[in-house]
Amino acid sequence: MPLTAFGVFLASTTIILIVFAIVARSTNVPRDISYAGANRLRLLFFASLGVILLIFLVLTLPDLPYPVEASTPERVVLATGKQYAWSLNEGTAPTVANWDDAFNQKVQVSTGAVVEFRVTTLDVNHGFSLYTPDGHLMAQTQAMPGYVNRLRVKFDKPGNYTVLCLEFCGMAHHGMRGLVEVR
Amino acid sequence: MASLTTTVAAPGVYRARLVRVTLIWVLTALVLFPVLAILGLLMRTEQGGYLQAMSPEFFYAIMTLHGLGMVGLWFVAGMAVISVLLATYVKPTTTVSWIAYGATLTGVVLLLAATLVGRLGVGWYFLYPLPFHSGGTWPGWATASLFAALAIMGVGWTLWAGDLLFAIARRYRLSHALGWHYLGGSTTPEVPPIIIISTVSLIGVLAGLVAAVVILVLVALEQLGGSGFTNDALLIKNLTFYFGHMVVNVTMYLGVAMVYEVIPAYNGRPWKTNTLVVFSWNLVLLLVMVAYLHHLYMDFAQPRWLQVTGQLSSYLISVPAAVVTIFSTLVLIYGSTMRWRLPSVMLFLGVMGWAIGGVAAVIDSTVAVNTHFHNTLWVPAHFHTYFVMGVVLMILGTVFHLVTELSNVPESLALTKTIIGTVGVGGYGFLLMFYLAGVAGVPRRYAVYPAEVAVGTIYAKISLIFIAVLLIGALVYIWETGRRCLKLFSS
Repeated sequence: MPLTAFGVFLASTTIILIVFAIVARSTNVPRDISYAGANRLRLLFFASLGVILLIFLVLTLPDLPYPVEASTPERVVLATGKQYAWSLNEGTAPTVANWDDAFNQKVQVSTGAVVEFRVTTLDVNHGFSLYTPDGHLMAQTQAMPGYVNRLRVKFDKPGNYTVLCLEFCGMAHHGMRGLVEVR
Repeated sequence: MASLTTTVAAPGVYRARLVRVTLIWVLTALVLFPVLAILGLLMRTEQGGYLQAMSPEFFYAIMTLHGLGMVGLWFVAGMAVISVLLATYVKPTTTVSWIAYGATLTGVVLLLAATLVGRLGVGWYFLYPLPFHSGGTWPGWATASLFAALAIMGVGWTLWAGDLLFAIARRYRLSHALGWHYLGGSTTPEVPPIIIISTVSLIGVLAGLVAAVVILVLVALEQLGGSGFTNDALLIKNLTFYFGHMVVNVTMYLGVAMVYEVIPAYNGRPWKTNTLVVFSWNLVLLLVMVAYLHHLYMDFAQPRWLQVTGQLSSYLISVPAAVVTIFSTLVLIYGSTMRWRLPSVMLFLGVMGWAIGGVAAVIDSTVAVNTHFHNTLWVPAHFHTYFVMGVVLMILGTVFHLVTELSNVPESLALTKTIIGTVGVGGYGFLLMFYLAGVAGVPRRYAVYPAEVAVGTIYAKISLIFIAVLLIGALVYIWETGRRCLKLFSS
């Protein structure tokens, strides 16, 4: 998806650069402009843009990352953020009072399993993000005080998936991490 | 005040006062801009691994100052420039501009103290409840300074926006200022585009500031009330992004209003209001109120219909911008006898930057894409595109247009080429490094990149070269504009 998005961006940028260059060069030879012709072109541009946006809507809206109530995950992991660590637990999530004892930075899951991360925080907003073993961002959701965000992920390949924080949370934001071992 | 030309078409003493307060705003912006830009350079230097002596807490403090400073700086610069352009048609109060200036300076001092002395590191949108969870990094007074700064600047800016709206209202009633009579087939009274866009923008400013007031009240209730009241983090997040998105977008719209007003001075083709312009800007006023929702896609607790609304409104709002404003700019310029001078080139390139940054923003406003780009460096990539290479060029181009005509100092073609060349190469090179890092999933707002995203270090290193080139262009511009401002003061 990121590469496709970048491709769309590069193609659009190239078109914009070409159009602006043509318009800038056109001033070398001043001429009258046909406003009727320009308006016909505007209509064509409007229709093209509308069609492109509609295609993107149709293609992407079914791909929302929000879990569907009807389906059931194979595993549930409670992901709790607290400045500056992620605790990944099964069964019971840590609290501020028992954080030191209940804190668990690592969880193991099976390859191919659909895992639901129930993400929350004990202090400020954090961003729960999963990076693949080769360093690609595969999924994320926010951790908000007072809320539990449910993120479903299917781990197709074994390896160590790193959890990083993607919402700025303070001095050691960049050091806030967890680990999902997929075996 | 010295030789005032028709550039600022307002009567005698009032015009002199207006020009003076505008010059003060401009000079202040010219001082703050390079300082804040150098903070950005320092951040990328640290991320490139060259400034290991800088602690993460200092990095995040200057990150906060850079973000809040740049957003505030270009908003007030936009307001100041639009005020002087509006004076051709209406009469804003210079006293209120001075009050806003005093409030802004007070806010700047408080923010400098909070970040550089107090080490407040909360990011430019200070997401609740982070300011109250310093983890021992910053003291309580730094948080108090942040909110005091926001409150003081908020009051000043509300008065300022209100005064500009009031000035418009003295000549045009609201329905005319928004051009609604054009939709009914009437072109009387004739309303220039700058009035319509400014009215839309100023209503947006006030709507955004209302959200800021609600945030301040809710936070104060929790922190000072002692009643056990706890804020809803999702509600505050919605209000925060509504406010932030509005301020940033309004700044953009102010820049676009300058394009409508100034480009005709360089090619003689008048840019008049028509039904399409009116319809599109009124549509923008509606859509900008909800487009902020795309900032909350990763908050899965937000109702799904709001997330879909976010994508729909973000897609829709791109249509009037592209089909009306950007397309019309191109039509206006195509084949015209254009005088390519620094202001006209900057305005033209500013519209181009707006278009490119807009495409990147629309891509990121797709929920399925946002999963991969949210809070990565793609985000600063796109907003720096439509800021640095968009609205900043529009504002600085208009400033140069004003001070050059007022001071009668001729433009140097060689320096113009230097500015455009360095800003173009430096700006887009620096942005490309952000985009590439964003595609690679490198997080934004990391003082240090961990091993998983170490590629971010390489992009940061390369970007330093481009930032240096960009800064050279910015400094030449500041020199050229600054000396014209000083000449106006001394004569």
